[in-house]
Amino acid sequence: MEHTQQRVVHANVVFGNKSEHELICKTKEGDKQAFRTLYDDHIGRVYALCYRLTGEKGMAEDASQEVFIQLWKKIANFDGQSQFSTWLHSVTANIAISYMRKQKGWVQRMFNLENSGINEMPAEENSTDVDLEALIIRLPERARMVFVLHALEGYRHEDIAKMLNMAVGSSKAQFFRAKQLLKEFMGVDDE
Amino acid sequence: MSDFDDKLARHISALSKEKQPERVLWRGIELGITSAQNPASNDDVSPSTVTSRQWIAIAASVCLVTVLWFAAPFAFKADESRSDGYALINAMSVQQQQQVNSLLASYQSTPALTQDWQEQLKELDDAADVIKAALKDDPDNSALIKMLHHVYQQQIALIERVHAPKWQQI
Repeated sequence: MEHTQQRVVHANVVFGNKSEHELICKTKEGDKQAFRTLYDDHIGRVYALCYRLTGEKGMAEDASQEVFIQLWKKIANFDGQSQFSTWLHSVTANIAISYMRKQKGWVQRMFNLENSGINEMPAEENSTDVDLEALIIRLPERARMVFVLHALEGYRHEDIAKMLNMAVGSSKAQFFRAKQLLKEFMGVDDE
Repeated sequence: MSDFDDKLARHISALSKEKQPERVLWRGIELGITSAQNPASNDDVSPSTVTSRQWIAIAASVCLVTVLWFAAPFAFKADESRSDGYALINAMSVQQQQQVNSLLASYQSTPALTQDWQEQLKELDDAADVIKAALKDDPDNSALIKMLHHVYQQQIALIERVHAPKWQQI
């Protein structure tokens, strides 16, 4: 029985991938309707990643649009060696990061903004009902980006360091900082 | 692994992988990909289609001119102060461009200290464009004018800094 169930699940995955494969092929041929279906299937995950990386709805929406415009242009580069969703996720992360650099670079230079402002909000009660997403958004930018890429997306610190143009040690330090702040936000005492 | 790490791991695994945007994004994407496609699609248009489109364009222009002829006096009156404000911004931009051009010309034979200064200059240009776009809607916004002024100053400082570093002047 267990064996049969595994086969059914496997068949579903294969079927799903097959139809996605067709959509990708059609999109490569310039079929906008197929691309729209790909968009509908993936916008939720793309936007979620952009929102968690940028920490801002407007910027996340703009970055998501940029992701899909670039995807339309670059989909020919997808060779099918990896899962499409994995490839799209790495494209999304890179585009969102470079989008943030473009948007924030000049603002920071102009106003000399400190890169590590923490949104001031009272700590949550030490309860099980924690809105982790809201707490992630409260993190300072670099700590948030490292936390999202490492803890949520599973990137290694070595990869994050390259993506964010920082030392591996800095990535680890930012991750530690993010965890400390989350602990504080959740109202958890140091053990 | 500490208790907190366990707790955090549980919250992370409970976190939804998806989130829907509040704004409809497809329209902008469609516009973006259509404009990327346009050069190719123009080639496919037959000469007869072009002719009919030209006729439509001419008819539309005639209508527009007629409408403007009647509506302009009212529209311009209401918008007079706004356009005056933006004319100042335009003048500021032209002056800045002239200053940048003359500076670049004067440093033409001087090697730049960094490779990416033009990229930085372009970034500042993009920033100025964003501010100018905002000023179009609100030409009297003093904070935006200050920002634009600041960006322009940064452009000048950047060009001077990469071409004439302080140690050369001493």
